[in-house]
Amino acid sequence: MSTKGKVSFLKVGILAAVMIVGLVFIAVAQEGPIKLGAVNPLGDITGAQSTKAMELAVAEINAAGGILGRQLELIVIDSEFDAAKGAAAIDRLATVDEVDIFIGGMSSGVHLGEIPTLKKYEKVTVWAGAASSLVEEAMEGEDWYFHLHPWDYLQGGSYVQGWADISAQYPLIDIKTAFWAYEEGAFGSGSYAGSLVAHDAWDNVGESFKSAVFGGGDYRSVLRHAQEIDPDIFIWVGYGADALPIMEQAREIGFAPSLFVGSPPGWPADFGESPLAEGVVAYGMWAPSMRNISPVSDHFWNAYIEMHEEEPATYFAPLGYTNVYVVAEAITRAGTLEKEALIAALEETSYDSPLGETLTFTPSNLIEHQGFQGQKILQWQDGSQQILWPFEFATALPHFPYTGR
Amino acid sequence: MTLLRKLQQRRYVTALVSMIVLVLLAVWKPYALIEGIQRGGVYSLIALPMALILGIVGIINLAHGEFMMLGAYFAYWLGVYTGLDPLVAIIPALAVFALIGAATYLLTIRRALKAPELNQLLLTFGLAMMAAQFANLMWTSRPLKPHLSYVYSSISLGSLRFGTYAFVYTGAALVLLAGLLLFLRRTRLGKAALAVGQNPRGAKLVGIDVNRTYMLIFSISIALVGAIGALFLTRHSVFPAVGSPFTMKSFCLIAMAGIGNLPGVVWGGFALGIAEAFVLSFRGYGGWADVVFFAVLVAVIMTRSYRRRVV
Repeated sequence: MSTKGKVSFLKVGILAAVMIVGLVFIAVAQEGPIKLGAVNPLGDITGAQSTKAMELAVAEINAAGGILGRQLELIVIDSEFDAAKGAAAIDRLATVDEVDIFIGGMSSGVHLGEIPTLKKYEKVTVWAGAASSLVEEAMEGEDWYFHLHPWDYLQGGSYVQGWADISAQYPLIDIKTAFWAYEEGAFGSGSYAGSLVAHDAWDNVGESFKSAVFGGGDYRSVLRHAQEIDPDIFIWVGYGADALPIMEQAREIGFAPSLFVGSPPGWPADFGESPLAEGVVAYGMWAPSMRNISPVSDHFWNAYIEMHEEEPATYFAPLGYTNVYVVAEAITRAGTLEKEALIAALEETSYDSPLGETLTFTPSNLIEHQGFQGQKILQWQDGSQQILWPFEFATALPHFPYTGR
Repeated sequence: MTLLRKLQQRRYVTALVSMIVLVLLAVWKPYALIEGIQRGGVYSLIALPMALILGIVGIINLAHGEFMMLGAYFAYWLGVYTGLDPLVAIIPALAVFALIGAATYLLTIRRALKAPELNQLLLTFGLAMMAAQFANLMWTSRPLKPHLSYVYSSISLGSLRFGTYAFVYTGAALVLLAGLLLFLRRTRLGKAALAVGQNPRGAKLVGIDVNRTYMLIFSISIALVGAIGALFLTRHSVFPAVGSPFTMKSFCLIAMAGIGNLPGVVWGGFALGIAEAFVLSFRGYGGWADVVFFAVLVAVIMTRSYRRRVV
């Protein structure tokens, strides 16, 4: 080969190498991180801890090599518990951040505001919170929508089943009359209305009160009315801010029902330290004691504390962790982010969650992809929540009747 | 003065009618009376510092409830780190919030004194938002409340069992009222403050340092509301939004009593507290408590307006 020919060959070789390197760069650029977009209320402990748990899950997955050879990227926007801000966040995540999948979220009111925007993009969505069946109605027929938290009627159904099972197991616990003290806002009155339907076998009496969240905080009149009824079970549906004052005021007037049940979305930080908490029954999807019986929950508990130097205190933390893992495993199964393949892969979900249950998606009343089917019945014992029901997750025997300490 | 002549005076008639109503209530709904007086104590106590600022500095402090919220957080964290009971934390809260009040006045309020009222409202509203958001970022929205066994102390009189601790608010409201009246009427500083409140230009002409008086009154009010936050914490949870409903109620009480009428704020608070407790004592009518609160408020304001026109 002549010198001229050699030079030409060299030029072609360099050009080819440059083109290959360029193509690799383009390919790598296209294969950037898989983006998960979440909208959580970061100022609230539910949103803050859910986000931290999501970060933990993403860190674990990335440390194990990512998914499909790509890293996961979590982009979280604060909804500030505001429906308009939640909707704007979805818009931003879809257009500016160009996320692949929507995850996270809590509060039915906020989510109802976000739904029209979600429908505009129709991206695969695996939503963690929002229990209202109004959300379910709004998402009817949307095959790209997967929902983790049990709907309100599923929660009601699980409580009915739970108390029936507990009564059957422990005949001393026999519930015939119930007094419901519910906060007068949408959360309390909605929960009460749903509970009446679910607990139709009980003789139910209800009365609203003004939550401390809305400037209330004096529960004595409603407690006195409950005292007059002398119910087998007293259930208050309010917020965490009501928890300790309601117990203190019950003690103040000498009201001590056999079953004292609280149903706030989150308990105050110091509640367990109060002797009045002893024996209070709670509803929730998870309790820290779950780590004693579930290796996944134990791993989650330890890893969360190691990463964030705080204990997970709300079930939205393991729910957020579950949220990321369910999506990650589905992407792995699908082998692609293509919508139809991803939906099919999510439908095959069988995830051993830190909440105890193995998560699968099954149809609920109106949507095709409902995750968890109910809540658990818990009880405050020695400063921490123990699981009473379902019995397969039970971490303690029930303390009955309620006496406080 | 003969009884007939006394009856001809409106205030004696009002007092007599009030006494009759209270006696009837004590017989018919004793819990409503006891708990109403306790509720009214909370309302009056929280409203008094706001009334002081409005009466003398002439500013509606929309961050009033947020200062109380910060006072409650202060007492809570002081308790966590030093083991101090919130009732004892009242003393350091007074000192710390006096400084916060002075700083707030110098940095913000002073610059808006001559601004239109809307600007002043926006300023204090902004302060309220900042305080709430600050608390949210620092401590999240998770409610906090220390366990204090003395708050559920109670006594039984026959079949009547009621809490005694909540009378602390009633007592504190009365003590604070007496203290403020003594300060304003018997001390040189207080008299100067009253003069400034009535006529700042005239007060300046006679040599009173108006700006310093404003700062002093603002600091005292913020110190008081911060300390009230510590007292509030004993029986209530604290969270970033806990204060704002009390700003609204305090302002309503002041509107009802009339600006500068500190005793009116206290009696108005008791009247509204008792009215609310009375409505709440009927099962299923709890939702009407707010309606009654504002109905009483509207009725009082309209009556006063009618009287002024008649006079």
